[in-house]
Amino acid sequence: MSPTLATRISRAIQFTFLGAFLLFIAAPMLVIVVFSFDANRFPTIPWGGFSLEWHRAILNDEMVRSAFVNSVLVGLGTAVLSTALGFAAAYMDFRYRFFGKRLFVLVVAIPPAVPVTILGVAMLAFLSRLGLFGRLETIAACHSAIAVSFSMALIRLRLGEFGAEMEPAAWNLGAGPFSAILYVVLPFCRPALIASFFLSAAVSFDEFMVAWFVGGVHETLPVRILNLLQGQVNPKINAIGTVVLVISVALVLIAQRFVGIRAGRRAPQS
Amino acid sequence: MSEIADMGAGAVARRLPRLIWRPPLAGSPAVVPVFLGVPVAIWQAVFFLAPLVFLVVITFWQVKSFRLEPAFVMDNWSRVLSSATFTRALQHTFIVSITTTVLAVLIAFPIAYTIAFRLAARMRNLIVAFLIVPIFSSYILRIYAWQIVLSPEGITNSLLSWLGVGTLPLLGGAFSLQVGLLTLTLPVAVLILVFALSGIDPVLIEAAENLGCRRARVVAHVIIPAVRPAIVLAATTTFLLSFGDYVSPLFMTGSKPPTLSILIVDTVKSGSQWPRASVIGVSMLIILTLVFAASRLVSARRFFIRRKG
Repeated sequence: MSPTLATRISRAIQFTFLGAFLLFIAAPMLVIVVFSFDANRFPTIPWGGFSLEWHRAILNDEMVRSAFVNSVLVGLGTAVLSTALGFAAAYMDFRYRFFGKRLFVLVVAIPPAVPVTILGVAMLAFLSRLGLFGRLETIAACHSAIAVSFSMALIRLRLGEFGAEMEPAAWNLGAGPFSAILYVVLPFCRPALIASFFLSAAVSFDEFMVAWFVGGVHETLPVRILNLLQGQVNPKINAIGTVVLVISVALVLIAQRFVGIRAGRRAPQS
Repeated sequence: MSEIADMGAGAVARRLPRLIWRPPLAGSPAVVPVFLGVPVAIWQAVFFLAPLVFLVVITFWQVKSFRLEPAFVMDNWSRVLSSATFTRALQHTFIVSITTTVLAVLIAFPIAYTIAFRLAARMRNLIVAFLIVPIFSSYILRIYAWQIVLSPEGITNSLLSWLGVGTLPLLGGAFSLQVGLLTLTLPVAVLILVFALSGIDPVLIEAAENLGCRRARVVAHVIIPAVRPAIVLAATTTFLLSFGDYVSPLFMTGSKPPTLSILIVDTVKSGSQWPRASVIGVSMLIILTLVFAASRLVSARRFFIRRKG
């Protein structure tokens, strides 16, 4: 049965629309990368010719370099903390029933739904009272309170495939409850743990509002970009942007490599 | 951190299992949930819950000679809620985010439909993977890129004037703001709908087709009702993201007029008026909670499905 003309036109429109949408999503990223190699000061058409000038400029920019180091440190801290907390939260949800469980899960899951502007002010006001303002550790701590939501989701999803009888089997064989977690549950969760590590790092690497508010003088890379953007047109931004883009896209892709997300199978009812 | 502590305890427990405690029967003793759960609870309490509670508390505090002092006054609330700046920003933010929500759902649905029903599984998964990337990466940068693309001497306008069309005032208005907000929200909205649409039981669609439904009727009477909760979720998420966004209003309209998020940041960064910023923040949270509750109600009840016959 060959498709009718109407069907073919409808399909053509659908695919054109889809293509336009994908271009809309990809275009900004491509623009950043392409114009970071542009010799012009202001990115416009025609292209001013290939140049590595701006990439060299950021290598010599002390503020950008220190922002980069800060971002890496905060990202690493967030990745470790968020994955550890996310595993604990996911395991609690998977294994136990307890009083206040809904609240427990909610408080871990909901932070990304709160606008970062509000979170930023709230964290700034509260944590500066505790004397935690203006420290990299504080940024990482705040970021992990947000990223733990994604970590828990990833790890909980994996635990959903974990045989419920595996742990009792380990206990029967003489493993203590902690060694059962260490030698049975954790290895099973490894792909999700790795994915959570990279995704949390990406979340932290991309977050600017909380970092801006609680970081004080310690700028992370997105905060540096935000501050550069509020000043004059600065061709360095595209070069910094390319670096940030490559790193954050790589982090998300690596995370996806370990947890394939597929649409099509119906989600198992939990 | 908690995990490292657990591993330490685990190692100790392995070496000295009989000395510390012995599980009488196979089972998970109460020490495990305490070890795992308490650190998480404390962490989220200190770095998430307490700040939000404190935000509510300081809406009643006072600023005296640039210092925040505990008090219980309604002054901040009455001042902010009655100020024209706040009312205008609230109205503007509402209109903007409702517009984004409507646009996002209208655009996302046909795209998600194409992805879910017209593409092979491989291609579909590839696009899903592609759409996840921007959700977690480089939002500021992508908005900055739109600024380059749309600005008066930017890429689009130099292309247009080269074609002899002349330049368009693309940046700095409702159009560019929506471009920015859709950049933020469309990937999420599309993904939510793709997952929902891919989960529809194909038997339902075949049944409708066998009963003589044309595609338009299948969409209207089978597919849309089946994914209604996902449509509501996509709309709610879009509203939430655009209502709280700071970057797009700042860079796409130069914060003219300001949105609530911009008011908060300006209030905090320009001085010590944290209580007033908190009032705005708490008002936003209340609004978002109400929107969320309403969306739960809409997706739970069957308002929209009219049963025939």
